[in-house]
Amino acid sequence: MFTRIALRLIVMIGALGCAGVALGQDRVHNYFNDTALKVKATESPVEKRVILSKSLGDMTQVIDAVKRAPLTSEQDDINLDRVRATLQEKSDELAGTNGFDPVPDDQLNAFSTYIVQDMEQADKTITVSLVVALLVVIIIILLV
Amino acid sequence: MTHFLPRLIAGATRTLSTDLGCTGCVALAVFLASCSTIPPARDEGGLVEGLPRYSLVFIIHGDGDYLYHDTLGNARTADKEVLSKAQAIAERNPDTEVFIFHEIERGHVLFLFPRHDGRAYYYRNGRLLAQKSYWRDQGESRFEPEVRLYEQFTGVQSRPPLRLFFYFGHELPEFNGAGYDASYAKRRVTIHDLAAGVRGIASASGKIDLLVLATCFGGTPYTIGALAPYARYIVASPDNLHLSYFDLEPLESLDVGSDDAEVADFADRFARHAFERLASEVQTAVSVVVYDVNDVGAFLESVADVYDRTLAAANGMSPVSVEHCDCADDSTYALPGMSEGLTILYRAPRFGRMKNEQSHSGWECWRIAD
Repeated sequence: MFTRIALRLIVMIGALGCAGVALGQDRVHNYFNDTALKVKATESPVEKRVILSKSLGDMTQVIDAVKRAPLTSEQDDINLDRVRATLQEKSDELAGTNGFDPVPDDQLNAFSTYIVQDMEQADKTITVSLVVALLVVIIIILLV
Repeated sequence: MTHFLPRLIAGATRTLSTDLGCTGCVALAVFLASCSTIPPARDEGGLVEGLPRYSLVFIIHGDGDYLYHDTLGNARTADKEVLSKAQAIAERNPDTEVFIFHEIERGHVLFLFPRHDGRAYYYRNGRLLAQKSYWRDQGESRFEPEVRLYEQFTGVQSRPPLRLFFYFGHELPEFNGAGYDASYAKRRVTIHDLAAGVRGIASASGKIDLLVLATCFGGTPYTIGALAPYARYIVASPDNLHLSYFDLEPLESLDVGSDDAEVADFADRFARHAFERLASEVQTAVSVVVYDVNDVGAFLESVADVYDRTLAAANGMSPVSVEHCDCADDSTYALPGMSEGLTILYRAPRFGRMKNEQSHSGWECWRIAD
């Protein structure tokens, strides 16, 4: 079933051409926004941390899976590494490791917003190839 | 041959060009009203005709990833949000002329025929006088299509006494520049292209009174130096800038004189309003700086050579080897007079490794990893 879904997605998104790159980037933005909404919807700090930790971890897995694909270029790998490093730093801050103080319970909502907004800056876009964008979309859907 | 087919298709395709900049063209305007995209004329009695007091030019880059989410989690597209606000400003200010250039992704009709990737709007005295779709790859320089349209819209009319220019988009590269336009992957766009565009729009009418650069990392000695010849005051963000950009509410009811003190005061009010709005809504770093071009010149001159050498070294290096940093972190730039001519508004990010940085010099530089 997953194979059929993946193949249909590849055909559909491939037909969009460059729009597939935008789709990939938007999918990542929306993914973290969905996470923030889930965090804010729950009262329990424990549950908030679980949601955030899982979200950051799953996206890191997505990036690792994409990097293992033979179709990514060297530049793609560099850009993916930058995103991965950013996600890892956020995981560290959430947990209070690697020189960070842990995020206090009463700031978890704000931290979830920070993750979303940090991805939405008007700096240089992290340019990835269409192949990488498609892989990100597919793997997010399949694994996450 | 590359551009022959698009031009052939464009010529055969109905355009939206409805340029009504000339006086005495009432009959033509009536004929075109039924098939143009110009809205019905508003109540003439409520409008102030004649030479507008203000001229606003907006260049809105939308050919890239501009999705963001507001504080309620609603998805928004940054360029469309700015376009909507700029149009509202144009309609609400009866003594203003407004030029809006919206640069969008190059799409295709039926996956084959390319669509125009630029939309231009010309408002005067609160009314939309012209709306035109155009190609963004039809000039010798990056912003030449916009400059040509600006000249076409303005014709031989006198320029208003107060002129403002706004650019909204992702960080304008200081080197390389490939991939800035998603639709033109091989084209390189740098801050010098924007500076050339501003020069074309400023032309013989003197400097732009206030230039607002709503991008990340716009407050560098190099970028400000590139724009300084064409502007009296510049508002920019030396650090990251969230895609909600600078709020445009101060433009909704303009009442500013053109003498230096009034322009400086407006620049300050605009910057403070933008800063307060961002600080209340975003968890990431907020930095808004007003650069008085007259007073920053000495500092720019003193660091120009070292900055140029850094750029030369950074160009050609892997992106992971270079990163932005506050110029004050580098003793080469931490010179007397560094803060001269700057009004710095800064709030550190609420999280991350920079959350304890309580100040910013107002200048952003490059750091090359060892």
